[in-house]
Amino acid sequence: MASRLAIRSRLHVAGRIAAALLGGYVFCWGFIALGLAGLFALGMPFHDGEHLLAILAFPLFAAVFCWAFVARSLPRVWLVLAGGGALMAGAGALIQYGMV
Amino acid sequence: MPDALLLAAAVACAALGMAWLALAMEAHWEQVRAGQPPARALRTLGVLGLAASLALCLAVDHASMAVLVWVMALAGSVLAVALTLAWRPHWLRPLALRLRDGGL
Amino acid sequence: MFQNFRQAMTWLHTWFGLALGFVLMVCFFFGALSVFDREIDRWAIPGSRFAPQPMPSFDKVLKPLFASMQPTKESVDLLRGKVDGPMPGHFDVVQRMGAYTTHRDPVLGLFAAYEVPGAKDHDDVAWGTRTIDPRTGAQLPDDQLKIGSQFFYPLHYSLHLEWKSLGYWIVGFAALMMLVALVSGVVMHRKIFREFFTFRPAKHTQRSALDLHNLTGVAALPFHFFFAFTGLVVFAGIYFPVADTQLKPLHELHEKQEAQETGLPHERAGVAAPLASVDAMVAEAQRRWAAQGMAGEVGFLALQHVGDANGYVSVYRAGTDRIALVGNGIHFQASTGKVLREDPPRTAVDSVNEFLTGLHLQHFRHWLLRWLYVLGGLSGCVCIATGFLFFVEKRKKQHARQGRQGARLVDAMAVTTVTGMVIAAVGILIANRLIPESLPVGWPGRGDLEKYAFWAAWALAMVHAFARSAPVARGRMNPAWREQCWAIAVLAVAAVLLNGLTTGDYLPKTLAAGYWPVAGVDLFLLAGAALAVLAARKLKQRAQARPAARGTVEAAHA
Repeated sequence: MASRLAIRSRLHVAGRIAAALLGGYVFCWGFIALGLAGLFALGMPFHDGEHLLAILAFPLFAAVFCWAFVARSLPRVWLVLAGGGALMAGAGALIQYGMV
Repeated sequence: MPDALLLAAAVACAALGMAWLALAMEAHWEQVRAGQPPARALRTLGVLGLAASLALCLAVDHASMAVLVWVMALAGSVLAVALTLAWRPHWLRPLALRLRDGGL
Repeated sequence: MFQNFRQAMTWLHTWFGLALGFVLMVCFFFGALSVFDREIDRWAIPGSRFAPQPMPSFDKVLKPLFASMQPTKESVDLLRGKVDGPMPGHFDVVQRMGAYTTHRDPVLGLFAAYEVPGAKDHDDVAWGTRTIDPRTGAQLPDDQLKIGSQFFYPLHYSLHLEWKSLGYWIVGFAALMMLVALVSGVVMHRKIFREFFTFRPAKHTQRSALDLHNLTGVAALPFHFFFAFTGLVVFAGIYFPVADTQLKPLHELHEKQEAQETGLPHERAGVAAPLASVDAMVAEAQRRWAAQGMAGEVGFLALQHVGDANGYVSVYRAGTDRIALVGNGIHFQASTGKVLREDPPRTAVDSVNEFLTGLHLQHFRHWLLRWLYVLGGLSGCVCIATGFLFFVEKRKKQHARQGRQGARLVDAMAVTTVTGMVIAAVGILIANRLIPESLPVGWPGRGDLEKYAFWAAWALAMVHAFARSAPVARGRMNPAWREQCWAIAVLAVAAVLLNGLTTGDYLPKTLAAGYWPVAGVDLFLLAGAALAVLAARKLKQRAQARPAARGTVEAAHA
């Protein structure tokens, strides 16, 4: 019984770390894609947009990384981070499609 | 080289300021002198020291650089004061001014 | 996963701090040394021990040197498999070439990016580099390793793990975890204001280590945060290459628009053209800067689309008096010398970005700020090292009772990455003085041998740390700490003596001449040796005091 709990707990920790890292990365990627495409569409110079989004993305990554361990429900973390990231990336792709 | 002198003064003011802020705390005052510290007066002196340090930094360099020098000088001062309190607290006795509290 | 926010932060800080702390030690220590990377280069390459020089004449000195340059073997090797057909033997078309210098460089670095005929990705280039004495144009031998700028500096951002940029990713992850550790550390530290100046070395190791960990972490908190953050921003293109992948079409759209706006051609015309006098262009650039009230030296000179009608020359001002990097670029048509464009004042975002990256990359001239940076970096090292010590002390006795090896393992790794790392750094300097100037044919290059010496010294320190670690499993101190401190002291003094013996530049001589690059490194080594001796003696005191204390505890139990 104790060893089963230990394995379940270890799996859960691994899942949290994966969510924080991979989910966090996807979330920040989507943030940058949407932000950069959006700001460029609104007239901001491209490299300014790149720099601004990079400056914002790293503190954001640190924040969502922490949130992944604080949030109650691990599935919700995956949904918000990976799902939200994918949505934002998709939105960025749409904006690019409209401009090119 | 007036720049070097101004910067040395800036570092000195930062160190003095941090020393006063430290001595305003009871635990550190007691390391140096018996009794209660005149906390408000020392904190005022401390802040003045840090402000003087910033002004001196700005006199030497472009604003963006001066602020960096100041922040780093503050960090160095905190370390210097803490290490002095740990190993040679009596060096700070001249700064533990027995002022009347409520400001200068 | 946790009861509350503070618990979660504590767990994150402990385990990610521990795991990535080993990487961060390397980043902070070699980052701190990199503040004076060019000075370390002077120590390592005695032939370059002369005063810093301004950018020399392009027409008279640099042009003939560029004409004879070719890509390095390493660069060509990296392109194998990325070319359709055979690899060309000679590279003729230069996409971009230039030179970069600062107020700390006696020697000048030249670079050239050659187009690769038949490349699958037409953006791939082969790189050539050369180091010259700008006073004469004489080339320095290729195998003289610049231990500061080409070894310690890249070590701190890439761990010299180039395969698939793995080292960059590890360092990037460590930097992100540094941000998390700083925030979580503040959350954990209940008495952050009350204990702002607190350090109690007389208390037991667990308490004094934690005091010092908190002190060095909090006192230099802005420094630690900004260096981790700006380091990530500098390499953002590697970590989030959005503009080169998902948004590449938008990027190319922008580049076409920019080429039209700026008048700086994006591609070659395919028509050959001569090169006008670059010296005249440099003079014009300096005249314009002076007219705007910011006279300055040339920091960076670059030629694009060399030999082509679309070629242009960019002259940038050295950023010695600002945090922001080189700027105020003026671009000339290569064939005629006509001014094509003066870079406009920066946008707000660009200014912020240049400030942040310039803060980290330090091209400015300010000796006090540089030394304060070294202090910040070494504080970071102390913070991480005391973190390890606290981790081990907190668990040592419990693990000893339970027969677990965890504390012992962490302690041995800590010795390896704290004192072991310093031994390696001093070791490469000693190797630098001992290896002969010219080596027999068939031997590896001098620079390669120095690198082997570095890694070998570190590996030896690691073996020693593990071999001596048995006492930790019994709840005692690992004697390797003390022994490696003594080793550091002896090696550091030896390095200083070897410098004098092999180059004649003894410390009294360099001090009298005011040649600070070499005197500074020697003095830093001696100061390090003194600190190491102090540490060794304090460690011995602590080791001798503890058995007595434990004796009384055991007597009380009996």
